[in-house]
Amino acid sequence: MTGPPGESDPRAQLGRLLEEDPADLYENAPMGYLSALPDGRIVKVNRTFCAWTGRSPEDLLGIRFQDLLTIGGRVFHETHLLPLLRMQGAVREIALDVVRMDGSLLPCLINAVELRDDDGAPVLMRATLFEATARRRYERELLSAQRAAEASEARSRMVQQVVSDMAAATSVADVASVIVERGREALGARGAALVLVDEDPSGGVDRVPGLHTEHAVGLPAELLHELRVAAIGQLALELAQGVRTVTLDDRLRTGRPEVAAAMLAGGLSSLVLVPVDADSRRLGVLVLGLGAVGGDLISLDEPEAVRATEPADVELLWTLGRQAGQALERARLHEETARQAERSAFLLEAARLLAEAADVRDTVERLAGLAVERLADVCAIDLASEQGMTRPVVRHRDPALQSLADELRQRQLPQRETPHPGMEALRRGRSVWVRELDEELLTAITLDPRHLEIAHELELVSMISVPFVSEGRALGVITLAADARRGRFTAADVDVAEQLALQVALVVAKAQRYELDVHTSHTLQANLLPPPPPEVAGLQMAVRYLAATQGVEVGGDFYDVVRLPDDQVALAVGDVVGHDITAAATMGQLNSVYRALLVDRPAPSAMIDRLQASWSLLGLQRMATALFATLHPATGQLRIASAGHLPPLLLTAGHAEFLPVTPSRMLGAPPAPAPAMEWAGVLPIGATLVLFTDGLVESRSADIDTGLAHLLTAASASGTSDPDELCDRLLAEMTGAHRADDIALLALTRTA
Amino acid sequence: MGSVLTRNCVTVSGVPSGRPMVFAHGFGCDQAMWRFVAPDFEVDHRVVLFDHVGAGRSDLTAYDPEKYGSLRGYASDIVQICRDLGLSDVVLVGHSVSAMIGVLALQEAPELFGAMVMIGPNPRYVDDGDYVGGFSRADIGGLLDALDSNHLGWSAQMAPVIMGNHPDHPELAEELTNSFCRTDPDIARQFARVTFLSDNRADLADVAVPTLVLQCSEDVIAPDVVGTYVHEAVPGSAFTRLAATGHVPHLSAPEETTAAIRAFLTG
Repeated sequence: MTGPPGESDPRAQLGRLLEEDPADLYENAPMGYLSALPDGRIVKVNRTFCAWTGRSPEDLLGIRFQDLLTIGGRVFHETHLLPLLRMQGAVREIALDVVRMDGSLLPCLINAVELRDDDGAPVLMRATLFEATARRRYERELLSAQRAAEASEARSRMVQQVVSDMAAATSVADVASVIVERGREALGARGAALVLVDEDPSGGVDRVPGLHTEHAVGLPAELLHELRVAAIGQLALELAQGVRTVTLDDRLRTGRPEVAAAMLAGGLSSLVLVPVDADSRRLGVLVLGLGAVGGDLISLDEPEAVRATEPADVELLWTLGRQAGQALERARLHEETARQAERSAFLLEAARLLAEAADVRDTVERLAGLAVERLADVCAIDLASEQGMTRPVVRHRDPALQSLADELRQRQLPQRETPHPGMEALRRGRSVWVRELDEELLTAITLDPRHLEIAHELELVSMISVPFVSEGRALGVITLAADARRGRFTAADVDVAEQLALQVALVVAKAQRYELDVHTSHTLQANLLPPPPPEVAGLQMAVRYLAATQGVEVGGDFYDVVRLPDDQVALAVGDVVGHDITAAATMGQLNSVYRALLVDRPAPSAMIDRLQASWSLLGLQRMATALFATLHPATGQLRIASAGHLPPLLLTAGHAEFLPVTPSRMLGAPPAPAPAMEWAGVLPIGATLVLFTDGLVESRSADIDTGLAHLLTAASASGTSDPDELCDRLLAEMTGAHRADDIALLALTRTA
Repeated sequence: MGSVLTRNCVTVSGVPSGRPMVFAHGFGCDQAMWRFVAPDFEVDHRVVLFDHVGAGRSDLTAYDPEKYGSLRGYASDIVQICRDLGLSDVVLVGHSVSAMIGVLALQEAPELFGAMVMIGPNPRYVDDGDYVGGFSRADIGGLLDALDSNHLGWSAQMAPVIMGNHPDHPELAEELTNSFCRTDPDIARQFARVTFLSDNRADLADVAVPTLVLQCSEDVIAPDVVGTYVHEAVPGSAFTRLAATGHVPHLSAPEETTAAIRAFLTG
């Protein structure tokens, strides 16, 4: 470095640098600087601010500071910045966007002070502005991440709430009200309705299934009607499309003008349709109606704007639909059980009465009396004989109306061809169910004007005629009618009428009813069990479920195999205490809760801990034992935890052993100090894992240890690693023709 | 003091026997907004100031999103305050959104009120067909964003101080900046929604007490055309245009504001 010695003196150099020109410091300061009069008019502004905003000083001088802001910013300026300045003389760190000359935004942080005269009146505002583009972007990202996290947490809470609400729901009506309420809440929908496919056992294959609204809140009946009409004929198609949105747009207005008009009348801008299904059977659809307006407030959305449903909400709704489907199945089982009990009691009473009857006349009298007591408002019985038809009895529920019934008795079934359901039933040899009796049909089946008048006076709305047939010969027909107050007959009513006719015709033995009951219960239970296990690469699997052969009780055994998204497989086998319908129902609930918890993919021991922790909340009525496992087919990594369940069996090259899985307390048992333990290991290629319930190893003649030893021997001797063969051999070896308990058996072999 | 009076941080001053005046602050800050006009009326009126729930030193735990999801929730608070203080023939002075809250309070309990002053009223901010409110939906969206960027002096640590639960830490209170306008961000957002997305045009015809509409010049929040609309919609109302600019004349031009109100009350 050369030059005079003074120049190389750093202190002198610094001194010169700091001899700044105040004007330059103001004009080119690293911040925007401006002064404005109390009404906002800018009277002085520095070059930095001009450069930042792309405006010349001439542009800025004389205009109001607030006019440089976005409209939202102007409001904030009026409602916050100015009042604060007036009240406390200064503001700090106010975030506002300044509009540049080219219309782009300059995010700023603003500090300002107010200069006042001797009386305290404002004379000038001085403001400094700092650019805050990056900082504001960061804050926004933070805020949106926080909102996303909150929304995600709210969705998880919603799923948990629904699982717990559903566990407590015992009737279809309960389930419907839960799903309608929660679905509405999830989307902030104006209204919601659960529309179900009619359960109609008598419907033929080619019949289009009917739809009915099970529960609706805040949706106009007209709209629901139009939707049902629109769905007819393409129901399967509608339901197969997953969660989808129908928007009130020109396409809908042209394609489905009635639906569009009903939506418009209800103030709805779009409908979200959520399939409700269980084990891939479509049960119905949850309809959510979104309005353009939330509450009394004006919507921020433009009137024609479409509100898209977020993917996370679609996922949530899909889960709600699945949960509702499973709960519906369970509730229907409950209701079916209750109906069955009622039916059994009714039929038992009928059998008793019929047994006491002296002759045919007495029999039909008693039968009609019973029918109007429990089943219908009017009961008419027609008997066929060589001499033709006779009508020995017509009864009305209300003694005051019996005189009308007596008049009906005078009008026995005509021999000629008529569409009367009684004649139809006799001709076809099977029940005829007139769901809704319309005027046309009523006119056709009545014999004279007075007959029609009586039907009107009795306000008949629905009819069932059931023939009673013995050894292929129609003995007669029982016709039931319901009035407007009772409402239309259901499929269940038809069922009862048929069973009643069966009794009358054949004097049904208790043993036959018994058989029917057993069949029904076991069919119901089989419906609760999951479908066959999925195909999993690297695994061969076989499952068996054998019901007990003694008694009409149903058991609470279950198994479940689920393929998890991370290529693992979740396995479960369990046994709910007891052998009755409560055990079966608890099993169903437990299975759905387990499936719901799988969403988080907890480790097997954590699964047990969660079930234990939530047991009282779930309202499950019985304790249960269970084994939960996860298996990675590619590596053989296997983790198992047991809640009081028998150990799993491992079969490796003809050598059988029980895996030492330490059992924790039973699910629902009183708390014990030890948490669930987990066994972890590797399932070698070619080895077979067998999970089973105690029905396999229990017998009346020997204790369970003997049974377990027997199982080891049987497995070692089986000589197969094919799961299907193994299951068959074990069952053949371990059980006889009679089983006191149900058996669930799950075998899987790791192939490669 | 009853719980309503603490909930809304009600302060009463002036002449106990004077005609009561209840001042309701608008969206943004708190009752401190009235500091330049209230003293003038304390000479011959009973002056009641308060904070809306969610603002100032009101009890934030009393904030119920459902109740305050509509302006009626705020209106019923005013009615409760008047009843608790045993007021009658009240002059209700409402600024900005509180002018509409006042209209609803009058609907709920007409027997309490004798006159009304609306400062910068706007019954519907969002333009609607021929009606000009001054804002598009996008403008209001921008305002909500501005609120999200400005959590004036608010932090979780400060919340207890703001709620008045930490009298043993006065030094914290000193630290607060922008203190008159601090609000819990969530509450501010909801108050903004209910303020700027309400439509009270149909309620104006129900106002049956002598009413003064005070209209500022160059008011971006309540433009001239809106003030005129309110004046025409409120039966028999008086209309005074102030030289003061902006939206808060009681801060920017207290003398002019006071004079206009006095002229209305005595005239």
